[in-house]
Amino acid sequence: MTASEQASPATGTEQLSVLVEDVHVNFRVYKDNDASLREFVRRGMRRAVDVHALKGVSIEIGVGESVGIVGSNGSGKSTLLRAIAGVQPLSNGKVFVRGEAHLLGVGAALKPLLSGRRNILLGGLAMGMTRSEIEAKLHEVVEFAGLEESINLPLNTYSVGMRSRLAFAIATLRVADVLLVDEALAVGDQAFRERSLARLRSLRDEAGAVVLVTHNLVEIRQSCSRAIWLEQGEIRADGDVGEVLDEYSPTSA
Amino acid sequence: MPATRVTDPGLVDAHANSQLGPYLRGLWKRRSYGWYVAESDLRQRQITTIFGSLWHLLNPLLSIAVYFLVFGLILKTDRGVDGKGGFLLFLTVGLFVFQYTQRAVTQGAISIVANRGLIQAIRFPRALLPLSATLTETFAALPSFIVVYVVAITTGTTPTWSWLALPGIVAWQMLFNFGAAMIAARVTTHFRDMQQLLPFVFRLLIYASGVFFSIENYVSDGWMTVLFILNPMYAFIAMARWATMGMDMPAEAVFAAIVWTAVALVGGFLWFKSAEHAYDRV
Repeated sequence: MTASEQASPATGTEQLSVLVEDVHVNFRVYKDNDASLREFVRRGMRRAVDVHALKGVSIEIGVGESVGIVGSNGSGKSTLLRAIAGVQPLSNGKVFVRGEAHLLGVGAALKPLLSGRRNILLGGLAMGMTRSEIEAKLHEVVEFAGLEESINLPLNTYSVGMRSRLAFAIATLRVADVLLVDEALAVGDQAFRERSLARLRSLRDEAGAVVLVTHNLVEIRQSCSRAIWLEQGEIRADGDVGEVLDEYSPTSA
Repeated sequence: MPATRVTDPGLVDAHANSQLGPYLRGLWKRRSYGWYVAESDLRQRQITTIFGSLWHLLNPLLSIAVYFLVFGLILKTDRGVDGKGGFLLFLTVGLFVFQYTQRAVTQGAISIVANRGLIQAIRFPRALLPLSATLTETFAALPSFIVVYVVAITTGTTPTWSWLALPGIVAWQMLFNFGAAMIAARVTTHFRDMQQLLPFVFRLLIYASGVFFSIENYVSDGWMTVLFILNPMYAFIAMARWATMGMDMPAEAVFAAIVWTAVALVGGFLWFKSAEHAYDRV
């Protein structure tokens, strides 16, 4: 795919895969001030604090595009992905998606006491696949994730790397119309990372669009044509991957 | 907010509340998730114990032994229990019917909070979680209902056709439990303290359901009796005692069970669904 074939958001004639319109997200979090018991009794309950994680974000992603999102920690990248996936309540704005969006993240820990195999089955069933559909792909994804040895062991015996490989395996059971990848590749070893990138490319060819969040700029340069720079819940830059990344991190090129 | 200019029918609002039809279809499509969770959870529960799955049977037998010791032999609350099978069967039926609802509602209450990982990663009708909790507890309760028949036979009760009604009553109770589990799940999501309060709610309810004593013989006040009979737990227990012990079944109990089930299942489902997006925040 070359850049000229990409759907450009400016013309507005191509089919859109994702449309994010003026999205705001407010979190209500409870602050633990680490007060002494006496202070706690005097002041009463925990304090609720509002965090404004996304402040009016608007994005158009065309069919066939793959977009990388960069920004410092806490800039709202993961929140944006979750908003597109429909699992993050919005305070304001709208998100439209063509087809089904799948969120692939490291947090997809399901049932720690159950085996990896049962977790894959549960994840697939919750996505609405049938048992035979999952079983047909089980061998392939287990092999891909390199978990043949430990697939029948409970999840709480897995290392962090194994767990994230399992999450990747679950999320790639099914071809998504919109694939949202959140730092999922950051934890694996080099060999797994390369296999994941290859798999991601083949998934992208089948998917309508891919949105990738990662701190690894090389990954974004390799697999995305467009980049969005998010800072403190607002879009700082949006455009060609080279230009945005040069601006974001002039030393990375 | 700018007026949306989405005219493309292929673009769907990712945050729209699903209509009743698609929601129920999505739930039905994922029903094997519920079966598989039940199977996995039950298998895993006893995996580290020496007696393994035998505990599914030992647990109800031991709890009956303890309650019979306290209420049958020490406190002697068996006054006025006249059905076939005596106080032992009376207690067995009451306790298992009660514990089935208690466990289903307690597990349903934490079903949203306990499945955070799944909720944050995958979009699916959230009612699947209280549904799975109810199914798991239904399977877990089956051995205790087999114990009911065992106790009935060992206490010398002659089998009657009405014994066959017990599975039907349990299935009816399952519908009520699913409704109550959805209500408990929503309350617990908004108000986490509910987890701490539920054991006390059920402790109060177990005394108000005539599990250990016959309400007719202990409660004489007119309107107090009405309150007992309107209690859904009492209604299900009375029906199960009718089926196994041939005790009189108050018509009010059947009426109460019908109304409670309809309210819990339909009202509970609609109430649970109307907060569908709030569960994403847990």
